[in-house]
Amino acid sequence: MAVASKSNRPGVDPITMSVLWNGLIGVSEEMGSTLRRTAFSEAVRDGDDFSTALFDRFGRLLSQGNFTPGHLGSMPFIMKTVMEYFPAETLKDGDAILGNDSEIGSGHYPDFFMVTPVFREGGIVAYTINIAHQCDVGGAVPGSQVIPGITEAFQEGLRILPIKIVAEGKFDQPLLRMILGNVRMPEKVGGDIRAQWNANFVGGERVNRLIDSLGLDEFDACVEAILNASEKRMRELISNIPDGTYSYDDVMDEAGPGTGAIPVCVDITVAGDTIAVDFSRSGDQVAAGMNSYINYTRAYAMFAIKVFADALLPQNDGVIRPISIHSRKGSFFNPKFPAPSSGRAVNQVRIFEVINGALAQVLPQKAMGAFSHWTNVNIGGIDERTGRPFVFYDVLFGGYGGRADKDGVEALAPIINCPNIPIEIQEAANPLLVRRCELIQDSSGAGKYRGGSGLRKDIELRTEAATLCPISDRHETAPYGIFGGLAGTKAETILNPDTQPVRIGSKEVRRLRKGDVVSFRLAGAGGYGDPKERPRAAIEADLREGHISLEAARRIYNYRPS
Amino acid sequence: MLRVAFDIGGTFTDFVLYDERAKRTRFWKVLSTPSEPSRGALAGLKELLASEGVPPSEITHVLHATTVAANAVIERKGSRVALVTTGGFRDIIVMGRQKRYDTYDVYLEMPKPLIERANVFEISERIDAQGEVVEALSEESVKAIVPGLKKSGCDAIAVCLLHSYANPAHERRVQEILSASLPGVPVTISADISPKIREYERASTTVANAYVQPIVRTYIGQLEARLSELSIRAPLSIMQSSGGLVTPALARRYPIRIVESGPAAGVLMCADVGRQEGRDHVLTFDMGGTTAKLGAADKGEPAVTSTFEIARERFREGSGLPLNVPSVELLEIGAGGGSIATVEMGVIRVGPESAGADPGPVCYGLGGKRATVTDANLVLGFLDPEYFNGGKMRLDSEGAAKAIEEQLANPLGISVLEAAWGIHRVANSNMERAMRVVSVERGRNPADYALVAFGGAGPLHGARLAKALNVPTLIIPAGAGVGSAVGLLAARSKIDVALTRFMEINENSSSQIADIYTELTSLALDDIKRLDVEPSKIIWSRYAYMRYRGQGHERKIDLPAGGIDKGYAARVVEIFNGEYRKNYGYLDPTSVIEAVDWYLVGSAAATQNSVSISLRGDGATASAPKTRDVYFPELGGATPCQVVNRYELKVGQKIVGPAIVEEKESTTVVLPGDVVALSPAGSLVVSISQKA
Repeated sequence: MAVASKSNRPGVDPITMSVLWNGLIGVSEEMGSTLRRTAFSEAVRDGDDFSTALFDRFGRLLSQGNFTPGHLGSMPFIMKTVMEYFPAETLKDGDAILGNDSEIGSGHYPDFFMVTPVFREGGIVAYTINIAHQCDVGGAVPGSQVIPGITEAFQEGLRILPIKIVAEGKFDQPLLRMILGNVRMPEKVGGDIRAQWNANFVGGERVNRLIDSLGLDEFDACVEAILNASEKRMRELISNIPDGTYSYDDVMDEAGPGTGAIPVCVDITVAGDTIAVDFSRSGDQVAAGMNSYINYTRAYAMFAIKVFADALLPQNDGVIRPISIHSRKGSFFNPKFPAPSSGRAVNQVRIFEVINGALAQVLPQKAMGAFSHWTNVNIGGIDERTGRPFVFYDVLFGGYGGRADKDGVEALAPIINCPNIPIEIQEAANPLLVRRCELIQDSSGAGKYRGGSGLRKDIELRTEAATLCPISDRHETAPYGIFGGLAGTKAETILNPDTQPVRIGSKEVRRLRKGDVVSFRLAGAGGYGDPKERPRAAIEADLREGHISLEAARRIYNYRPS
Repeated sequence: MLRVAFDIGGTFTDFVLYDERAKRTRFWKVLSTPSEPSRGALAGLKELLASEGVPPSEITHVLHATTVAANAVIERKGSRVALVTTGGFRDIIVMGRQKRYDTYDVYLEMPKPLIERANVFEISERIDAQGEVVEALSEESVKAIVPGLKKSGCDAIAVCLLHSYANPAHERRVQEILSASLPGVPVTISADISPKIREYERASTTVANAYVQPIVRTYIGQLEARLSELSIRAPLSIMQSSGGLVTPALARRYPIRIVESGPAAGVLMCADVGRQEGRDHVLTFDMGGTTAKLGAADKGEPAVTSTFEIARERFREGSGLPLNVPSVELLEIGAGGGSIATVEMGVIRVGPESAGADPGPVCYGLGGKRATVTDANLVLGFLDPEYFNGGKMRLDSEGAAKAIEEQLANPLGISVLEAAWGIHRVANSNMERAMRVVSVERGRNPADYALVAFGGAGPLHGARLAKALNVPTLIIPAGAGVGSAVGLLAARSKIDVALTRFMEINENSSSQIADIYTELTSLALDDIKRLDVEPSKIIWSRYAYMRYRGQGHERKIDLPAGGIDKGYAARVVEIFNGEYRKNYGYLDPTSVIEAVDWYLVGSAAATQNSVSISLRGDGATASAPKTRDVYFPELGGATPCQVVNRYELKVGQKIVGPAIVEEKESTTVVLPGDVVALSPAGSLVVSISQKA
């Protein structure tokens, strides 16, 4: 490889570099809007559950679109693996590589990655890559995501190690047929794979346009300068954190009835201008579909470190160079194949939270109380009005933890970032009636700055029978408070709360009958600082707005009405 | 026909007086009076009429755009609103759609709702998605909230119940009860303001309407009173966000529809100017002091979206309040003349932070200390320090150069001129990215479009932007600095009605579609009565939002005009298929086509041809040829460049760039190799050379 050209030549024109940097970010964004515009599935089009990026010919990340954080840390490793499977000399203009392996990719089979080499005058000058969440890849359940009862990855659907799905601009039809023959919604999956191809193609055209305006030598020189400037900034930011090892331990709920809680432990070592995050002390991998493969662990750990350094730094190879993420092989955060992992999204909040808990010791201004957590609800069955199957998919979000200078934000997607689904749309499409959807009074963790409230949503089944698959957490340990702030209330899920209440586990699969009401009550987020320091005016505002009751105000804040 | 148009903005109120017989146009500009906007506006109008010697009684049309509703929302200075909603759902407004507008910022604040949670009242009732009553309305529960409503001190009430788009009966009954119990407090129901599915967006629109209603009512009342004091008896028309005019009566009823009044008029102006120049497809580029607004008109009509967001943060999607209000399609970014330039990680960044108008750029000499885009444009020679705003303001070149030197050139180790050029280029690069979203990403090929640049800074940056996007023609309209007021002259009356009906569309759907449009027409006629237009003179158009059943997103599909006969639905299917294939490259014959939201638009037939702006009469006397040094990197740097006074240009006269064309409100930069000419309609038309 032409290593010589990687050296940082002095004399890069700062104006050209400014405009090119803008242009590189523009490429990733335009790839993203192409993908969103041409995709077929809701996850991609409404949920932004995808990401796009541009790599240079050496496999270094140049820019990434501002989409899901779930892929930030995994992209560079996908790129590396794909270059091992398909060295540059085996690729031709118009080729594209597809895969979805949990360990190589971003942690579960529904995430398809596609890598496309960008050619110029016969040689590769860059790679465009995107990852999109496909709506189904076969396996035990529609949507291919379930936690309990899954003991190995082979139950989770189709596994694709990197394959050349497009050769010189033509899709490999037999391969495509094989893939689509193994998924429940072949039209959507096929459409989204084509959208992934479109996005990479558009990205390649735009990169070539950028190189046109500069020439390849100047482009290379600017890229070096951009990566080096980014690395320098990240190292400066890390240097400002005092050296030392900072640890935090929490646990996650059991993976299914009787499986035991999962320890989540992190040790973060800051040494000079580097930072190392280690999850090795956490529990072992589990026989349930929620293990966090190392690329997934990397993605959210990297996201958390960036949030504590400078969340708005551009994402590129330079920024991630000083950060390393590690976990013991065989642990929950670095499992061995064939550990099942389809429901691994439940881990993202906790990965962030333990890093938050550890770094709170040295960066108190940036830390916050723990999130309310979130719940993913799947209810599937036959709609007796139409005789057709339905799959109800929902995401419930509560509040954020209290912060150094403000209360936690109410009712906002934590770490994961997608909009909720309007209740009217849900009821129009499914045999369900939402009975209530509201913030829970007295659920937030008290503090000088209180956490956000939990959310309650009650859903009634209006058809003969259906199956409930929830993915939730914080039933067994409450979201923590920090610096004297109190924990919020724990989450609970109650079947038929007004008739014959039955508590069900955070990930427990249940058969529902007509008229059953499932009441999801999310945990309250943790507080920040001693509740005694909470200003009277803030307590009164909470009383007026109904976030806390007078009884709670008296008990927790020692409030006396004047 | 003597028409006067005025646009009240945050800083200035712009006027255009247009005498159709004499083909004479007069621009006027006065400072706005934000505490009571109608006062400044009418004082300015009086001055203008006096200066032109026009008796007020001869005015035949008064056309108006205003930011009064938008400002009430942006500054959270509207009225105290209570929301009445279905029991169990009091947090619809507090929750919103729950997505961070910046994924990587977990410390952000979400927009503050227009109402307090304490002022949300729940009643007992429930309707389902099919419009069937699951739980009858408890009138007792409505009466029970009356004391609380009274105690809340609210001066407007919004009612939004679940699924009221499918069955408005409960909302209507609640409105009756509350109107009777709380006389004098306006009650807005969501089924009237926006009978569309999606409870948060519908509630947000309903609350916002109630929130601005008292302010807009007061404002229109004052305006009408002052117009009649001036003895102007011509009817007043107000611009809506959709680009159509309405009567004061309709603006009082649906005040939320006038929030984007001024920007909509700007896009109309661009569409009109494009038509005059024989260009039906235009991209619009309005660059002012703090932001740039980018839009488009296709086939001569401004692109309109059915929803938009007001009061965004950081110009991010999802950061504002959603409104189900038809609105011209505009993308706003933080790139204006006042945008601040900084050095970060060895590169130049521009915006979104802005010095605004106060303190403004360093060169204004009003206390601004941070280098801005306008400072760079001055240092580069694009602006004349002696002729800014027609010479009313002198610019401080030395101050600008010093700020750029200290803040950018020295840290980067480059010259002041290079740093200024860097600022200009990065600002252009930001706008290019946004314009690619408006054009390429929305299926518009820039090569088929002309770029219309206006606003104070638009003509300075237009040529580079056009070149970067391969747009072959740049148009700088006359009165680029008062573009929205000019746009009002080209506007027509228009009303939009909409409803939600989920419906499978196949060749047998014609009679169901006809039923929907019968219903929409009767809704529209109610509004048409308030429009001062003969119903027979209305031109109707229809569109619907459609998708394959099961998809989360709908596409806007224009439906055929004319009668809805047996074959109508088959034509709709054909149009949907064509649109779908065009955008996604394939069809899915196994899927069911479904329509969700239905629209009917009624516009008045055009009463006049395009407005030709003639600047004769405004022109200065011929002056000596001027040159100054202007920075063009393709010519090796600062180069002597001809400076042309726009008022002295003759129609058809061609000038080859490099050149600077100056007028009072703006300055146009013509790049080397490009050719500019004054068109018969009064616009500067620049042919952009496609050589790099």
